[in-house]
Amino acid sequence: METTKYLKSLLTPKGKKQESAVMAQSLQSQENTKYVLETKGLGIYYGDFQAVTSVNMPIKRHKITAIIGPSGCGKSTLLRAFNRMNELSPGTRIEGEVLFEGENLYDPTVDPVEVRYRIGMVFQKPNPFPKSVYENIAWGARIHGFKGNMDELVESCLLQAALWDEVKDKLKQSGLALSGGQQQRLCIARALAVQPEVILMDEPASALDPIATLKIEELMQELKKNYTIVIVTHNMQQAARASDYTAMMMLTDRQTRSGTVIEYDDTRVIFTNPKDKRTEDYVTGRFG
Amino acid sequence: MKEKLVNPNYNVNINGRRRNGSIWRWVLQLSTVVGIIALITLLLNIINGAFGYAVLEARVDPATLAVDGVPLEEQSKEQLMSVLQSNISSAAFKKLESDQPFAERSRANVYQLVIERIVKYDIKASWQLWDSLTRANEIKATAAQEYPSAQLRFISWFTSDFVSRPQSSEALTAGVRTAILGSLWTILFTILLAFPLGVGAAIYLEEYATDNSLNRLIQTNINNLAGVPSIVYGILGLAIFVRALEALTSGEIFGVVDPTTANGRTVLAAGLTLGLLVLPIIIINAQEAIRAVPQSLRKASYGLGATKWQTVWSHVLPNALSGILTGTILAISRAIGETAPLVVVGASTAISFDPSSPFSKFTTLPIQIYQWTSRPQDEFRALAAASILVLLVVLLSLNASAVLLRNRFSRKY
Amino acid sequence: MTIYKRAEDIMLRKTFENEIQQVKDDILLLGSMVEQAILNSVEAMKKRDIKASERIFEEDKQINKKRFEIENKLMVLIATQQPMAHDLRLLASSMEIISELERMGDYAKGIANINIRMGDTPLLKPLIDVPRMARIGVDMLHQALTAFVNEDVETAKSIPVKDDEVDALYNQVYRELMTFVIQDPKTIERANWLLWVAHNLERVADRVTNICERTIFIATGEMAEIKSTDDEFWHSQRQQK
Repeated sequence: METTKYLKSLLTPKGKKQESAVMAQSLQSQENTKYVLETKGLGIYYGDFQAVTSVNMPIKRHKITAIIGPSGCGKSTLLRAFNRMNELSPGTRIEGEVLFEGENLYDPTVDPVEVRYRIGMVFQKPNPFPKSVYENIAWGARIHGFKGNMDELVESCLLQAALWDEVKDKLKQSGLALSGGQQQRLCIARALAVQPEVILMDEPASALDPIATLKIEELMQELKKNYTIVIVTHNMQQAARASDYTAMMMLTDRQTRSGTVIEYDDTRVIFTNPKDKRTEDYVTGRFG
Repeated sequence: MKEKLVNPNYNVNINGRRRNGSIWRWVLQLSTVVGIIALITLLLNIINGAFGYAVLEARVDPATLAVDGVPLEEQSKEQLMSVLQSNISSAAFKKLESDQPFAERSRANVYQLVIERIVKYDIKASWQLWDSLTRANEIKATAAQEYPSAQLRFISWFTSDFVSRPQSSEALTAGVRTAILGSLWTILFTILLAFPLGVGAAIYLEEYATDNSLNRLIQTNINNLAGVPSIVYGILGLAIFVRALEALTSGEIFGVVDPTTANGRTVLAAGLTLGLLVLPIIIINAQEAIRAVPQSLRKASYGLGATKWQTVWSHVLPNALSGILTGTILAISRAIGETAPLVVVGASTAISFDPSSPFSKFTTLPIQIYQWTSRPQDEFRALAAASILVLLVVLLSLNASAVLLRNRFSRKY
Repeated sequence: MTIYKRAEDIMLRKTFENEIQQVKDDILLLGSMVEQAILNSVEAMKKRDIKASERIFEEDKQINKKRFEIENKLMVLIATQQPMAHDLRLLASSMEIISELERMGDYAKGIANINIRMGDTPLLKPLIDVPRMARIGVDMLHQALTAFVNEDVETAKSIPVKDDEVDALYNQVYRELMTFVIQDPKTIERANWLLWVAHNLERVADRVTNICERTIFIATGEMAEIKSTDDEFWHSQRQQK
């Protein structure tokens, strides 16, 4: 696969060429497939319980896609399906397909480990490793055999995460000594260290104060120039402010408690003139 | 504060509730105090027995053993050997030679033999510390009266000599060096066996094993094994390590057989037996420690595309390390104090030379204590008290070093 | 204090709904103030009642004040309630509508102003068509505001047709006045004044059309100009030249 060759070349980069390598790969992929990620008839089961039903939605390259909806409708489950993190809970299975650059992620020949470092994840509660700031970022690169200049990589990732200035003389201090917002940006920098193509964010700002939240949102706007971002959020205003496309998820009905995407559109449309009444009720806050 | 208009259905009774709380606090404090008092009593009791006045009478006056005008304490090893040879039977001398050749014995060792076999101080009477301190004059009077030819000495049984002298049947010259070394050697093998096996099993059970009935059965069994009486492990050790695996434990396989033992009752067997004993403890504690590592850490690792082993090695284990070490401390503490299984496995009660290899005979501190308490004379009880103090010191220092290690690993880094 | 029996009973955004209702009521109030002003100004001109016109002049200040009051409320609602979709369209359009109403108030003030300036000068011709234009315009306004409050799209679509009547009346007035002027050029000043009054009333009707477009936008999200025959007329006029 040509993408693998590109990846291997990524793992021995020379400093700043990393960024252009990512771009080059994206451009090449753009000729191959229309969407970075796409689900086709995706259903997700925990044992017998169907959490997500029949989702068909695209994730567009270099855009921020938000997934919104009331709690318990399967947003996080859907997000985790994009990088096969659902498999960490025993008994989960899917039906349908999740295509990444046109190839099914759940094909038996695909290794979940490879999926996870090309599609990275940032979690709700910041969870930096109990190591130094430097090590947090270096570890991920190291396990993937990074042979280039580690100092440059760490600096580059921290710059992209808007954290470099704040920690550049504290690189050897523990990652846990940072504030909540800084920790979350550290987690973002850590995810960037393995050169992902897509970054999944599961309510990344819900545990943070408003200023830190806004910083993360601005960061996302910059990051989307090089990466594709999918974000799950409870905060409608955040989805409205920060995303390009929004998918509205809701339970299909109260009995089955299975969620599906009822509307997917440009964010501007969803928040000014949505087509589905349920979406309208949800964004105007009249949905119970 | 101004009175609130209270709904008559409520009886707020803040004072009553506070009183109630106070009572409980005193009760709990009392239980703590009782526990502390019990510990202090125990400790004082032991210290009491380890020091005190004793009346000593020598059967053979050491002054008469001077060679060429050199008093006994200053004689060289050869001079001491000649004194020894001329004063005990040749059969006895030959036995001493066969136990441990004189060439290998130290001067202190030979001196001790001279004291033991020839001078033979007898302890006519002894008193405990409290008595010695409070009734000193009375004791001195009694001693002068009843034992005019003997000396009255204040003996600290618990001294550095005590720790460095080998065991002997004479109370005055007895020491616990043999026992301490035996204990330490045994613990070494216990840890060598139990730590890797225990931690490995814990990692497997927590991280890799799926939740099916077989694994649950294994888990239950491990939990139960932690409560099995230690004598059972002794019998197990006897059957397997001493008898069935005699070739291994006696060193035959390696060709290093201790000339005095030609069987499996060795340090190695004891270590392995105790290893099995503490294995469940280590497994359970390690499992708890691994379980305590938050799931978010693992998720972060997997999210970066790490494999399961990388996650375990780089994140789970380092963070569980302090808990695992705590479990190891518990295991060591348990193992050091075990007596019954080691008696069954064949610890010697009366050896006077240090263990030189995994395949030698041995004795341990608890066994030594047990042996001394079963002797009728008072002075052996004093020795037992002193060796209990030694055991406590060894235990505390092992614990302290393990705690230091744990603190080093559990800093938030 | 309301006791809710179940969580499902808690109506969401009740406060917001109440506030929106209040705003709508305020807009209706503003609308009736404007309607009154228009009718009064024409009546005052018909009767040559200078004092009445002066009163209308003063009352316009009330209209402006009311407009800013409503605007303030709307700003507060937008800032504090995070309106989305339909609510957002409603509040944004309300801003537009009160602006239109305030302009209509200004037209009424303009008519009163002309009456005052005319002073003792007699009317060039008795007012017949002008009051009719006012009547139709005010009716249109009233219906449009009702449609706005009820979000009645059908009614809102049907109102702009009446604008044609107003335009026809305007053309008539225009031709009549032109005839006067051609016959006697000294009447040009008085003719101008009357033309200006008619022009104001014609603009009122146009503005009502805007309100109707806004109402449709609120309900459907589509912003479409309603084609008026007036445009076609002027378009054809230009073509003829």
